[in-house]
Amino acid sequence: MNEMLDKPLPRISPDTKPFWDGCAQHRLLLPTCVDCDKPHLPPGPVCPFCFGDQLEWRPSKGLGQISTFTVVHKAWFPSFAGEIPYNVVQVELDEGPRLSSALVNMSAGDLSIGDRVSVVFVELGPMTLPYFEKS
Amino acid sequence: MRTRVLPKAAIVGIGCSPFGRSLPQSQLALGAMAFKAALADAGLQRNDVDGLSLHLGWPLGSDYDRYAEAFGLDIRYVNQTWLHGRFTAQTLQSAAFAVASGMADVVACITAVSFTRERGFLGGPNDVEGNREEGGSHGESPPYGLTAPAGGAALAMQRYMHLYGTTAEKLAAVSMTMRHHASLNPQAILQKPLALEEYLGARMVVDPLRLYDCSLINDGAVVVLVTTDERARDLGQKPVYISGMQGIRAGREEFIFAPRGMGINQQSGVRVPARSEDLEIFASAGLDRSDIQGFYTYDAFSPLVLFALERFGYCGVGEAADFVQDGRIGLGGALPINTSGGLLAEAHVAGWNSIAEMVRQLRGTAQQRQISSAKALHWGTSWGDGVILTNERRA
Repeated sequence: MNEMLDKPLPRISPDTKPFWDGCAQHRLLLPTCVDCDKPHLPPGPVCPFCFGDQLEWRPSKGLGQISTFTVVHKAWFPSFAGEIPYNVVQVELDEGPRLSSALVNMSAGDLSIGDRVSVVFVELGPMTLPYFEKS
Repeated sequence: MRTRVLPKAAIVGIGCSPFGRSLPQSQLALGAMAFKAALADAGLQRNDVDGLSLHLGWPLGSDYDRYAEAFGLDIRYVNQTWLHGRFTAQTLQSAAFAVASGMADVVACITAVSFTRERGFLGGPNDVEGNREEGGSHGESPPYGLTAPAGGAALAMQRYMHLYGTTAEKLAAVSMTMRHHASLNPQAILQKPLALEEYLGARMVVDPLRLYDCSLINDGAVVVLVTTDERARDLGQKPVYISGMQGIRAGREEFIFAPRGMGINQQSGVRVPARSEDLEIFASAGLDRSDIQGFYTYDAFSPLVLFALERFGYCGVGEAADFVQDGRIGLGGALPINTSGGLLAEAHVAGWNSIAEMVRQLRGTAQQRQISSAKALHWGTSWGDGVILTNERRA
């Protein structure tokens, strides 16, 4: 557990706090523009498409596909050294935005771009992070 | 139609410290060695320098005021960029603007790195950029264990390989060519040629990047002196003119280590061939791309060479891995790239080793690496900025 606690935690800003609060409730929330209806990531203070100020947090279905990935073989973080080689993915949600994450229960050779995935939530110390698993 | 850049600025001096791993000297000491060499090269005195354009300041390097204090300078113009190597062209462009506007007479572009002592900044728990509120700008994601610029280059290359069927064997041509060029360069760190088997057999770092897809981690310094074209004519060296420029691209269609629109981070995934606004650097110099005799690029990771070639239309979308085969990017090929060995094999001095090489080429002093009758060379990066240097003033 100490090893888990040593992993870097996400930084929380006023713009991203609702996202992480949603994860704690096992909900993947996307900041969505009330004016143009488009969701975006990473969470920002305004809509990057129409520059509107009115955003609301709408639930994502948590489904998407792997748009790219890598497998890390180098021990940059001591807290990840025991997991080498481990995967990191970018997931394109069906709603459009992409986020970085990782697949759970996945051996590194089994990853392909285009694989369908769905969100799962994993506790990391005091926080809950979105991970994905193959659908 | 883009306005021509008036070539009012020229490079008149270059100086390099030794390049190497774990050098005993401080960053400032390496900078001083390069600075003295550049002054001697130009036939200028320390007191002639009244501007500093400093690449790689905090948190990796020293800041402009420390250089001015340490070297006993009296400065009236300063530009400084932060940690990243990406600001090579911007640092040089800023120097050109300063002398063209009269804000300075002679600007010293200084880059001094001690990566071997400071590598903690390049990824891991001490990556202060990746861990700040809005994170790093290379796709870092520390909570998932992704850190360091290499991670972003790997994400991009993985997708590139998926889209275009590129193989490791084809990508190898980039690193092998850089090593060949370095074998002709006595100041390069890796002078031993690289065979395909050795490339493929090297350890995987961050898939699909192997050890030799990643730049050197080393120490060293380069100083480049810029002044007006008028003053340049009265100095010791044949001036090298800053004849074309293009700035850094940014936005949701951009990612630092990918071609525009390739589907990394929030890029749409819709790629288009190089557009006129991607190619304005050629118009700004009054040249055609076909006039360029050598291409110099930021090869911190071998895929960046492919991405830069597609950015500037040297080949079509998805064609760069084929383009770099068969000696095309080597000396004697149709488009020699990074003729001194680049960051992959000469040294990682944030691209300034290649800027110095461009100057040598345009002076005709690159010896066994000389591109015959080099007149126009292009520095261009995977993030879309660039500089064209010429051996004559493009009036």
